[in-house]
Amino acid sequence: MARWQFRPPVERTKHGFRINIDDREREVVRHLLDEMRSLLLGPSDHPALKRVFPTAYHLEEHAEHDAEYQRFMREELVASRLAGIETVMEALAARPPLTESQVLSLAQALNGVRLVLGTVLDIGEDDHPDDIDPDDPLAAEHQLYGFLSWLLEWTVRSLSSRT
Amino acid sequence: MPVAPSPSIVDQPTTDETIDPDRPWVVLVWNDPINLMSYVTFVLQKLFGYSLEKATELMLDVHHKGRAAVSNGNREKAELDVFRLHEHGLWATMQQDD
Repeated sequence: MARWQFRPPVERTKHGFRINIDDREREVVRHLLDEMRSLLLGPSDHPALKRVFPTAYHLEEHAEHDAEYQRFMREELVASRLAGIETVMEALAARPPLTESQVLSLAQALNGVRLVLGTVLDIGEDDHPDDIDPDDPLAAEHQLYGFLSWLLEWTVRSLSSRT
Repeated sequence: MPVAPSPSIVDQPTTDETIDPDRPWVVLVWNDPINLMSYVTFVLQKLFGYSLEKATELMLDVHHKGRAAVSNGNREKAELDVFRLHEHGLWATMQQDD
């Protein structure tokens, strides 16, 4: 029996990268990136951003260095994330194929949204996508997190693959 | 999880002793339940030029031992590496080599 061929949501072709998701899925990604942009433009100590702006110096004895790092580098991190989101927004609207650098930005941006969503959902080491409790008020967000994991996994796979 | 020493301990080494400019810094990546294993491996390859084997080994160290040292150097270099890892969403910190 012929094996069912799954069409990857992101793939590397001879002519560049293709994103094979439909308009509704693209709309979901755009919506999430929009939300991420608003979050990044707000106060940087928002609890949902905890994982987006980690500590750089974890030892207490280097606390001053960390304060300095946060003072100078956080702005850079925000700028870098916002620029990445712009790149992805343009790439999603442009004619295929996409360049490797656009797909790289896609991976970083999807990962950024996963960090926020994972923080809000308090994802733990033992959480499994199959364990979503239908009565959980955030069940839909858990599914969204699963969708992003799927999309990121294939984005990474496309970047790692050769034609 | 990184455990910071209690701030109530007053007789810690002085800053002059702990920030010896000649002692190299090491960049650590910590285990976290959100980042995908494939993504972590990919980022380590991309940022540090590691082979797939080396990057996978480091990723598995992060996953099983809780952390792995992914690069080292003087403070400026280590801080730049930490920044690049943060840009990619990895949980990276730095400390001076023991």
